[in-house]
Amino acid sequence: MQQDAAVQEKGKIMWTGDLRASALAAALGMGLAMTAVPTQAQEDTIKVGVLHSLSGTMAISETTLKDAMLMLIEQQNAKGGLLGKMLEPVVVDPASDWPLFAEKARELIEGEGVAATFGCWTSVSRKSVLPVFEELNSILFYPVQYEGEESQRNVFYTGAAPNQQAIPAVDYLKDQGVERWVLAGTDYVYPRTTNKILEQYLKDSGVAAEDIMINYTPFGHSDWQTIVGDIKAFGSAGKKTAVVSTINGDANVPFYKELANQGIEATDIPVVAFSVGEEELAGLDTGPLVGHLAAWNYFMSADTEANDEFIEAWHAFTGDEDRVTNDPMEAHYIGFNMWIKAVEMAGTTDADAVIDAMIGVSVPNLTGGYSAMMPNHHITKPVLIGEIQDDGQFETVYETAGLVPGDAWSDFLPDSKPLISDWRLPMNCGNFNTETGKCGSAM
Amino acid sequence: MLTPAPLNRKRLLNTRGWTFLIVLAAIAVGVPYLNATGALPDYAVSLIGKYLCFALLAIALDLLWGYCGILSLGHGAFFALGGYAMGMHLMREIGDRGVYANPDLPDFMVFLNWQELPWFWWGFDLFWFAAVMALFVPGLLAFVFGWFAFRSRVTGVYLSIITQAMTYALMLAFFRNEMGFGGNNGLTDFKDVLGFDLQSQDTRIGLMVLSTLAVALGFLICRAVVISKAGKVIVGIRDSESRMRFLGYRVEGYKLFVFVLSAMLAGLAGALYTPQVGIINPGEFSPANSIEIVIWVAIGGRGTLVGAAIGAVLIAAAKTLLTGLYPEAWLFVLGGIFVFVTIFMPRGVLGAWDSMIDEMWHTRGMDPRERRLAA
Amino acid sequence: MVRVFRSLVIIAGLFQMMMLGPSYGQTSDEGTLRAEMARLAGADFDGIADVVTSLASIGDPEAAPLLRALRGGDIYWRKSDRLVVRAEKIPGRLLRLFDPLTGETLEDVKKRTIKKVKVNNTLRRSIDTALGTLTLRSPDRATRLDAAGQVFRNRDPATLPALDAALVDEADAQIAGIMRDARAAILLNDATADPAETRSAIERMVARGDPAARNILAGLDTRDPTLAAAAQDGIAAIDRSLRLWGYAQNIWQGLSLGSVLLLAAIGLAITFGVMGVINMAHGELVMIGAYTTFAVQEVIRASAPGLFDMSLFIAAPLAFLVAGLVGICIERGVVRFLYGRPLETLLATWGVSLILQQAVRSIFGPNNREVGNPSFMSGAFELGGLTITWNRLWIILFALAVFVFLLFVMKRTMLGLQMRAVTQNRAMAANMGIRTGWVDAMTFGLGAGIAGLAGVALSQIDNVSPNLGQSYIVDSFMVVVFGGAGNLWGALAGAFTLGIANKFLEPFSGAVLAKVLVLIFIILFIQKRPRGLFALKGRAVEG
Repeated sequence: MQQDAAVQEKGKIMWTGDLRASALAAALGMGLAMTAVPTQAQEDTIKVGVLHSLSGTMAISETTLKDAMLMLIEQQNAKGGLLGKMLEPVVVDPASDWPLFAEKARELIEGEGVAATFGCWTSVSRKSVLPVFEELNSILFYPVQYEGEESQRNVFYTGAAPNQQAIPAVDYLKDQGVERWVLAGTDYVYPRTTNKILEQYLKDSGVAAEDIMINYTPFGHSDWQTIVGDIKAFGSAGKKTAVVSTINGDANVPFYKELANQGIEATDIPVVAFSVGEEELAGLDTGPLVGHLAAWNYFMSADTEANDEFIEAWHAFTGDEDRVTNDPMEAHYIGFNMWIKAVEMAGTTDADAVIDAMIGVSVPNLTGGYSAMMPNHHITKPVLIGEIQDDGQFETVYETAGLVPGDAWSDFLPDSKPLISDWRLPMNCGNFNTETGKCGSAM
Repeated sequence: MLTPAPLNRKRLLNTRGWTFLIVLAAIAVGVPYLNATGALPDYAVSLIGKYLCFALLAIALDLLWGYCGILSLGHGAFFALGGYAMGMHLMREIGDRGVYANPDLPDFMVFLNWQELPWFWWGFDLFWFAAVMALFVPGLLAFVFGWFAFRSRVTGVYLSIITQAMTYALMLAFFRNEMGFGGNNGLTDFKDVLGFDLQSQDTRIGLMVLSTLAVALGFLICRAVVISKAGKVIVGIRDSESRMRFLGYRVEGYKLFVFVLSAMLAGLAGALYTPQVGIINPGEFSPANSIEIVIWVAIGGRGTLVGAAIGAVLIAAAKTLLTGLYPEAWLFVLGGIFVFVTIFMPRGVLGAWDSMIDEMWHTRGMDPRERRLAA
Repeated sequence: MVRVFRSLVIIAGLFQMMMLGPSYGQTSDEGTLRAEMARLAGADFDGIADVVTSLASIGDPEAAPLLRALRGGDIYWRKSDRLVVRAEKIPGRLLRLFDPLTGETLEDVKKRTIKKVKVNNTLRRSIDTALGTLTLRSPDRATRLDAAGQVFRNRDPATLPALDAALVDEADAQIAGIMRDARAAILLNDATADPAETRSAIERMVARGDPAARNILAGLDTRDPTLAAAAQDGIAAIDRSLRLWGYAQNIWQGLSLGSVLLLAAIGLAITFGVMGVINMAHGELVMIGAYTTFAVQEVIRASAPGLFDMSLFIAAPLAFLVAGLVGICIERGVVRFLYGRPLETLLATWGVSLILQQAVRSIFGPNNREVGNPSFMSGAFELGGLTITWNRLWIILFALAVFVFLLFVMKRTMLGLQMRAVTQNRAMAANMGIRTGWVDAMTFGLGAGIAGLAGVALSQIDNVSPNLGQSYIVDSFMVVVFGGAGNLWGALAGAFTLGIANKFLEPFSGAVLAKVLVLIFIILFIQKRPRGLFALKGRAVEG
């Protein structure tokens, strides 16, 4: 903890050096007293950007990831740093404000000269910073499950694509005899896309349209009476029914509370969620929720040595035995180790060299296997289906036989079907169209 | 009571106005120069451009609140609508360079299986159309809203709260993906505008300079309104609406005029904002954003126009700085500033400055009123 | 008619019992159970399912504790000798092992030495069936009631003999009723059942008339066209009655949503409506109430777990005091400098709200905090076709109680009198010897305290996070403005109107659009009545 504070303090001092001066001058538009020139990263450290919201609506999820990054960097420094230099975290707060994400990304890269950035949670924050990373040619590690339909040269997607989470979960439920489906989600792009993919997937496998109910709710929806009632009614048509939930973080607590109170048990209508992890369950009494499911690539309950060590280090770092670990934290763990390995292979933190070295890098994950970076900048992961237990943990009830490679472009959306992504030469393209034989709209 | 703004401003530009314009000119010339010499980092240019958009927005609100006494808690909506109009044009400009290479539809419509462009996107491939819409749509909304509200004599806090309801309703509506505005993700990944590459530093400088011009223009328009005869009626309405009504003025008409003008200026600010930050999404409609605009004006000094611009830039810059310097504690500082300024500087930074100057003149034996006349 | 049917069933049951022999409820020798139990060690889901089925078919109630523990995920096997045990967490990161059948304590071990026998939903369902079958004749009424419900839900034809046997002895009319429902449900699940019995089973389901019954009828698989037609008619009849109940359900849910709005807004009706302070920190005061509840529950969990059900009764006055005190601090520290400048209170209190949010984030962390439902607020009961959840019911009652309390304070106490005096004419009130400063502080504190009470209630249905307040602030203002500022009855009418309107719109338009429409409605309504539903009249209005 002590060391952590020192590192952070150092980060702040760097800020005061040049940024305060430049921003103040910028602010007043005077620019005349400007003498501070944006210095490049100091020679003795390698800077790592941490771009997670520490205030606003997303702080609830993202603050943990900031802590996880600080821990990983501290651990790496304890091992002697990287390329003989210490790593220095630069933490900023984009405050759940999407344009601010782009602004902060620009500051991190241009102002601080970070070698790589770990950050973002929502798709919109990623979309907001994408052009910045592309323009300034820097590297972003994105640790959250997302809707796919993207592959960008400067971004490495260490969270799950829909085929690494949603589709295996639906397969599992089908095996359990589910015939009727409620696709419930928050109204934003991740649930919309995932549900589009699932709808097509279910129809392809013979589910009738009237056996699929799709429902969207606003962010932070807190009055779930009607919808839970509807789900109950939909589930009373004589076929085994399940809910596939892409409900966003905050709205889950009232949703599950309502489920529990209206007496919908997992044995009647199971709910499988893609955005509910250990962190979200920490705010809930999980007693009435036992048996509801979640699909992730990591559970805190994973029974491996590496995971035990990780959890122990996490508890020591946060000084809190009750803090849980979750899937996006593992994604950062994987992404960070991949980056370290790629930098060591390239012998430099230069973005182009590292981006080239990243592909094919393989590091241990926390569930007892190895995850590898693929040419489409997504990684291979195991898919785990877990059931909620009364202690707020998940018990794995199903695991894919092997690792599932992340698919950037879904095969279940008509326009995305012909697209593939391969950032190796000679293709070097994130959206190569196999029908036209062109990269995107290139002539 | 409301801050008394001196009524005897006959000239379009007093000393303060000239100073403001000179500072703007200095920015328009100085920032590109400093950037070229390397003294100012590239990202600071866009940042300044963004602050200038906020300044224009604050000036627009100040005209409405500071001079006409209408506190809009929904000005973010007009700003966002302007931003969306420009964003829609920029989306159309992408053409077939989107990831799916679809020449007719933006990417977010492609992967949600939209078959054709919705009608309200028609015409946005033309820049002039989008530019007109960026002013027209906020203006129209303000006109309709104001027409009803002012005629039924909804005033004061009630008006403020229903403007808040308006922006809140719009936010929820724009969050819906069925609306066809990209839902939560909004509009992003813009490539160029009128053939200029948005990623290039030259375009950014151009947009920044354009923003200074817009601020200057907005300021001059507001000034012109304020010093006109109508301006006096407007201030009269602020100080006592019923008195003006008794005197035979058609209060609704004046209020509506100021409201629509202010909304259009906000739309202009939004239209300049979108290409500079590279994204527009429903978050801009959030009631909290609109409250922030009010705070800029209050901090800078209500009923001064220049003060509003200063307040916007100060707070936006403070946010930039503090979120980097004290990521864990910046809300304490920002919240503290709001409380401090409201209690101890009721007339804002500019008002406090004035009092200080007055004090100085006073001690030198000159009546502050005389000095103000002299200015 | 019913009596005839009942005796028929009893006769049929007796007949079956004679045919099958009296195996149900019989004890078997312990060795058989232990042999089955031993097979759990290292078994996969299919293997466990097999054990559960055979335990059910042995039919010995002695197996019930084992099955219950298995369902709860407490069954492990020792890695050293593959002994199947039940484990409980004890302090010191250890687990205490018990014999699953006798409950005898074995030893304390580390987690690594044992392995869990995992269950999934499918298994849980079959365990429920087995438990239902095994405990149908339990001497305990509640257990029997539970078991009958379980058998009804699972509709496993294999449980029919046990059910019939239990039905013969059942003296409790309610349980017997459920058992007969269960019997009908099972018959409808059995394609080979006798058509006459199926027909009467259909009638029984139609009479039951709830979604579960509809579910069963819809799933009926029969080749007999007359039976299929009867089932279809039955479904149509159930649908008709369910639709009517649906309206009642909408009203109920609207009342419930309205009560939440009322709680969130009623404190604001004081600070904003009566005092004219636009208190943007109101939501944060609600949040403080919710966090107080959390803190109280934490203390209770740590020191007196037995009192958990009382936690809300302890939390409510505390939340009132804590939020009230914070409110008084805000009033004395900030708001009192701003009287007469209502719009500026908005700015200052907005600053205060940012500070409070960040303070809570720094103290309690940015994550959601767990606030549990006391047992009397968990679950639901059926009232005709209505599902009424206990927590919603209590929240409605709580909201009304708070409303009455507030009304009492305003109309019947000295403080209330002084408050009204100060708001109506501050100078005159001061001349009459009222300490206006003190009254201001108390009024603001009262509004803030009420917000704290709202936080206690909201902690039961929503997130307890630093963002809690933000999500209610806009809605609260809408309610107060819609109802008419300065009028408590207005807040009441406003909250319930908006709640019910929202719930009637939601099924047609979806949740998002419903909210948008309600907001548009408010905007239009204010045009018609610029001062809200219950407008104050007189000179005081012009301000």
